[in-house]
Amino acid sequence: MVNINATLIAQILNFLFLVFVLAKFAYKPLLNIMEERKNKIASDLEAADAAKAEAEAVKAEYAAKLADARQEAQAIIENARKTAQAAHDKIMAETKAEQDQVVAAAKESIALEKQKALADVRAQVINLSMVAASKIVEQKLGSEEDKKMAGEIVDSILNK
Amino acid sequence: MGNEAAEHSGEIIHYLAQEVAPGFVVHMQTMYMTWITMAVVFVLFFMASRNPKLVPSGIQNVMEFFIDFLNGLMEGTLGIKGRKYMAPFIITLFMFIFISNEIGMLPQVGVHWTSPTNDVNTCFALSLTVALGAHIVGMCQKGISHYKHYISPSPAFLPLHLLDEVVKPLTMSLRLFGNILAGEILLIVLYQLAPWIMPEFWVMFSLFIGFLQAFIFTMLALTSFALAFAHH
Repeated sequence: MVNINATLIAQILNFLFLVFVLAKFAYKPLLNIMEERKNKIASDLEAADAAKAEAEAVKAEYAAKLADARQEAQAIIENARKTAQAAHDKIMAETKAEQDQVVAAAKESIALEKQKALADVRAQVINLSMVAASKIVEQKLGSEEDKKMAGEIVDSILNK
Repeated sequence: MGNEAAEHSGEIIHYLAQEVAPGFVVHMQTMYMTWITMAVVFVLFFMASRNPKLVPSGIQNVMEFFIDFLNGLMEGTLGIKGRKYMAPFIITLFMFIFISNEIGMLPQVGVHWTSPTNDVNTCFALSLTVALGAHIVGMCQKGISHYKHYISPSPAFLPLHLLDEVVKPLTMSLRLFGNILAGEILLIVLYQLAPWIMPEFWVMFSLFIGFLQAFIFTMLALTSFALAFAHH
């Protein structure tokens, strides 16, 4: 049963022949396609990673842009509020100034009227007092000196 | 013929020894089965490698499974460079032994199926090819410095290394031969003892043993070749 003979040599040749034939006709395409697939998977994974990184970058960029836009909007609103406040303040100040002016003008005019009325009253009183005094003393008092004296009297009364 | 007489004198495995030329006796049964095995291995790989697709299917998928399995083993022991160099040899070695081991388990209908590996000549042929191949590849890869490992870690280990050179091919071939021959003998014995059901369990187990022995032989061959690609 254990009988070593020329079969040994024949089997070595058979095996080497099989290795040679398979290496020549069969392995190359198979090993190549397996290598190619391996490389393709690796490159696809790499591409997927790159795409993911890119997506992340775009997302971050959008987030940054959104934040910027929000900030800008806030700034615009703030600005508008300030402008409105300024306009409001200005209008208020103008109105107040105008109002003050009107009040001042009115006061002035009242004072003027008052003065004028007082002057009228004074003249009337002078005349009345002259008439009354002339009646009282039954004497014609027509000189300038009399009028002046009567005026001083009237003034002293009015200013009491 | 004297061999013929020996075969009919109670042996249950027949090798059909024939003197093809004066002094050259060849086991024809082993040769026929080897050629069938070679044809099967070749057809499998040839079919798989015609028009290979990036997305594999059918026979390509099956053969790629084996290649991928062996590529993993080779990368572990030989490294990437060693794998590219040794892939045709190792893949053929594994598939040849694997198909050899399984072919003897086919039902004996019409044809007397035996494993080429039930012949000690086949097993020695393979283990000697591996041993000599390891020397040749080692010389090609590293030159004479390949033999430095004989005196490592110290020159005192030289006898052990030399012993290893003899023992390794011997054990590799005898392990394979013993397992497969024993499997076939036991199968024949079982058919005679309990012709129904029982042999089928043994066939299943033998199919598994066939894969296991092919794997073990390939692994040991890889350790032989590993020295040629080892970095120091």
